[in-house]
This record gives sequence, C-alpha cells and structure tokens, in this order.
Amino acid sequence: MPDQKNIYKAIRAKLTNIIDESPLIKTFVLVPENEFSFKTGQFIELSVDGIGEAPFTPSSSPLVTEKLEVTVMKTGYVTDYMHNLKPGVHMGIRGPFGRGYPVESFYGKEVLILGGGCGLAPIRSLLFALESIKDKLVKVILCYGSKTPADCIYKPIFERLNNTEKFEAYRTVDKADESWDGSVGVATTLLSKINISISNSVAVVCGPPIMMKFGTIRLLEMGYRDEQIYLSMEKNMSCGLGKCGHCMMGEFFVCRDGPVFTYNEIKHNPEIWM
Amino acid sequence: MQYKSIKKEDWDKTMEQMLLSYTIFACIENEHGLDYELLKPQDVQKISYNKPKPVTSLKTFFLPVKENVSLEKAYEKPRIILGIPNCDIEGLSLLDEVYLDNEYTDVFYSNRRKNTLLIASDCFGIQEHCHCSSYNIKAYSEKHADLAIVRLGETILIRIISAKGDDFLKKIPAVQPAGNSDLIEEIEKEHLATEALLSKSNTGLADYKKTGELVTNAKDGIWEKYSVNCVSCGACTTICPTCTCFLLLDRPGFEKVKQMDACQYPGFERVAGGEDALFELHKRFRNRYMCKYVWKPLKFKSSACTGCGRCIEACIGRINKNEIFMELAK
Repeated sequence: MPDQKNIYKAIRAKLTNIIDESPLIKTFVLVPENEFSFKTGQFIELSVDGIGEAPFTPSSSPLVTEKLEVTVMKTGYVTDYMHNLKPGVHMGIRGPFGRGYPVESFYGKEVLILGGGCGLAPIRSLLFALESIKDKLVKVILCYGSKTPADCIYKPIFERLNNTEKFEAYRTVDKADESWDGSVGVATTLLSKINISISNSVAVVCGPPIMMKFGTIRLLEMGYRDEQIYLSMEKNMSCGLGKCGHCMMGEFFVCRDGPVFTYNEIKHNPEIWM
Repeated sequence: MQYKSIKKEDWDKTMEQMLLSYTIFACIENEHGLDYELLKPQDVQKISYNKPKPVTSLKTFFLPVKENVSLEKAYEKPRIILGIPNCDIEGLSLLDEVYLDNEYTDVFYSNRRKNTLLIASDCFGIQEHCHCSSYNIKAYSEKHADLAIVRLGETILIRIISAKGDDFLKKIPAVQPAGNSDLIEEIEKEHLATEALLSKSNTGLADYKKTGELVTNAKDGIWEKYSVNCVSCGACTTICPTCTCFLLLDRPGFEKVKQMDACQYPGFERVAGGEDALFELHKRFRNRYMCKYVWKPLKFKSSACTGCGRCIEACIGRINKNEIFMELAK
C-alpha cells in the first residue's frame, strides 16, 4: 500500500481567455498553476469552483504545455456555469486521464478522420499532433459534418488544412442555409468523395454516439478492418481513475481503458452504442 | 495453517486492555440481528463468535457513505474489526483491487486499510441466504485477513494469516501455541459441516462462472420481468460488500466530496446533453447482474459476488437473485 498523492485533488488553472466558437460553443484558454501536459486524445476533468466538474478532451496542441484550450458546448448543469464565467477566475483541472490516440502507430500511413459536431474539439488537438509529425505520414483527410453551417466550429481550420501539404479537409452540413453552397448530408456521405488507400490507412471517428455507430458501419463497408478503426467513446466519466463506475462499458472503464479504443477491442460488447 | 490459542477469559481481558489503544468493532447481537458494533468495555462478553453474519457489510469501514477527499485526515486511533465473515473478507479483496492499484491509489482508503487489523471469524452454520461456497468462497478465512478466530468452549483459537496479525499476537502474553490437535480437528469438522449445509441449502445454484453465462444469455424480456418489483432504492448495492461506485461532488475551494453511489439510481450513466444508457429501470437492474457476474470477472481477480446473500435480505421488493438464476438455468 504505497503512500501516494491525493488522486482526487485538482490543480488550479487561470482562465485567461474565452473564445466564442458558435452560439452554444466556447473555447476556454487556461493557464495551469502547476506543470501540466497531456497526450492527444486523453481527457481532463475540468471544474467550476464549488459547482461541479465534467470531462473534456483538450482541443489545443499537446505540444503546447504553458496553456491549454478546452472547447465546451453548453449542454448541462456544469457547462451552463462555464459559459457564464469571465476571464480571470480559476478553474480546477484533474488529469490527464486515459489512453489517447497512438499517433506513433500512424507512421507511414494515411489517416482518415471522421468527425461530427463537437467531436471536432478533440480532433483539432489530434490535427495539431499530426501536423507536427506530417513528415512521417502519407496523408491526412478530415471529413467533418455539423448540423448547420453556423454549428461548425473552428471554421478557419478547413482552409488552413487544405493549404497544408498532405492534408485535405471536407465539410458537410445536415441542413443548409442560404450561406452554404457546399455538401449537404451526414458526415459519412463525404466518405464517397475521398481518395484513400484503405489497406494502408487508419480511421479515427469522433462525434456524437449516433455518428460513431453509423460512421463505423460505413467504414467497415468500405473495407476497413476492425483494428484500423479508432473510436473515441463518450460516457459519464466522473472520477477519471477507473474507480467510480459511472463510465463502465462492459468490462472497460472508458476513463481509464479508453477513451480511445479500436473497434476490434470493443466490438464484442453490445453496450458500446447504447 | 498455524494456530495459536488463548483462554476465553484471557482473550476477554485482552480485548478490554486493547480498548485503551485501539478502536474496536466487534460482532454483537442487537435488535436487528448480528452486526458490527463499536465495542465498549462492558460489552466484551457479548461478542459473538463462529456465527454468520453481520447485517451490514465490512465495506462501510473503508468506504464511508460520504467523505471529504480534499482534507488531510487527522490522526485516527488504530482499529480492530473482529468477527468478519469470509464473504466480507473476500469482498474487501475486490475493494483493494479497485482502490489500491499502483497507478491511482486512494490514499484515504489506503490509510484506513493500514490502520485496521482484520480479525475474521469462521462461520459454523449458515443463514437462509448464505451461498458463498457456490462461488468457490469458503465459510472461513485463509487469506486477505490478518487473523481468523474460532471459539470452542472456553478456548479461543486463532489462525495466523498475515505478518501483521502475527505481530499483533506477539504482544499478547497469554497467547500460546495451539498444542491440542483435537481442537483443530473439531474446527475442521465444523468447516465440513458448514460446507455441507451450504451445499444442501443451495442445491442447483450455478457456480460463479456459469452464473455469468446465464446472465449473458438471458433473453430479451427477462429483465423487464424480474425488475417489476424493483423500486431503484439501491439497498442491494448499498449493502453489497463489493459494490464500490461513487460520485464526486464539488465544494467551494475546489474541495471534492466522495459519496457512495449506485447504478440502480436513475441518472447514474446520464451524460451532458441528457443521453442515458441506463434510463430504463430494467436496464439498470440488468446492469448490476452484468457488472457482478460478467464484466468485473473479466477485469478483476477477486469475485464481485461473495455469496453473502445480503442483497436478497435487503430488497424491499423481495427480489431474490438466486431464484432468478435458478429460473434462468431451467
């Protein structure tokens, strides 16, 4: 029984800026008071003092350690409070937790990223990580869908990626408005437009549960093998330590064994799409 | 296994003396039955031996219902818990796997474990819902505890299980090597008799592995049927020696309060945005069975059901899991 630090204790981080991304989504820029770093795809528990905490995968580059960006959709009790915060206050951070994307295993391959909705937040962090190792990759294709053009966050990222060697980015919306002249349809419809060598690629899926399910089915139809598909699972990760039980998905604690799994690791479990 | 012995009279005196330096909880009969009670000097004679089993489980000594996990704890007097049945000892073994893992050790749990001497008690006889042996758990402890105690007439026999237990006994001058092999034989006879009772009482009940298969293969509609009388009160998980789920609450100053939780409560798996994989009662009901008999066995070495039967005793809907398993096995 070794003496260890208090695993439940949060470190303080100063909220230095808040960026409006969409009517319901804001990015919080945080400067941790203690040394803090994460691997892309890992998540943190971010707390509002005295109110509560919730799990988020940082949206910033894992290579930047002096500050951290977390993109938050206003969707519940804690996130409502977050959206009312003003720069200058302190927030609490626990983590990083779990298993992120194994980017080293992507070397020499084409990387297909299928994203939807707020799933672009962790994907942005992954894109930063992949940009830093692009010499080792064949190419990276992002296919992203949002409900409406206004719901799309980080809009400048698409143009930047399309101007970056080895990167391609495609967007679609479920429902167009007068400002939109691009693709209309769910994110998976973009998959028929891309040119990718499936046998030498991996696919990363991150988005709402319904998109994860149908995205995975579509990738399998395209010829992806189970172990080539990486899923970032969403559950009620409360402690982040594999103890509180809230994120149990079959025999896995998503917070600790995931949140990133290959489809091969979890496909036997009917609970994954519940 | 090595036995020591002490006269009952000397053991009682020892317990009284130990109260000066330890907080002692012992199994004593109260108006609800046998339970772990804070021992007072005048109650030493009331300590129950060889008898199953405390109404509540051991886990509450290590996982309080609610605790602030931000504050440094003040020094606590070392504890002795006396009279623990093996179902509780085995349950603690699962708690250890969860809370003492090397990467994320819960220092509050760890301090309590270090601060506590566990004295198990052999069960001579069974209660109505006892079924430890069906899950390959004995009615007496040989591991995970520090000592195990048996009363035979006016003699107390003590099995030494851990070095910590051995060190404790060395401090008691009246403890002697157990020379009388007749007494050891008598204990072994009682073990066999208890096993026979368990076997007879649970004829046809599937073993732990087979139970997992029954639960996995249960057909659609089964859980709706069996959960009809469930009111999501969480009594089954609260009283269970192996249920460990909790919630972290926030208090001002970035303090965290850890509060025991249960998968039987609505909202246990609800995520921001409102999606809830366990929204329906029958899914929560099924979750407990899947967790105990299918998922935890894939993840942990220790058993997630120790056959204590307390969930059956505590259920206000009179749901008997063993009757469910018997029916699933048909």
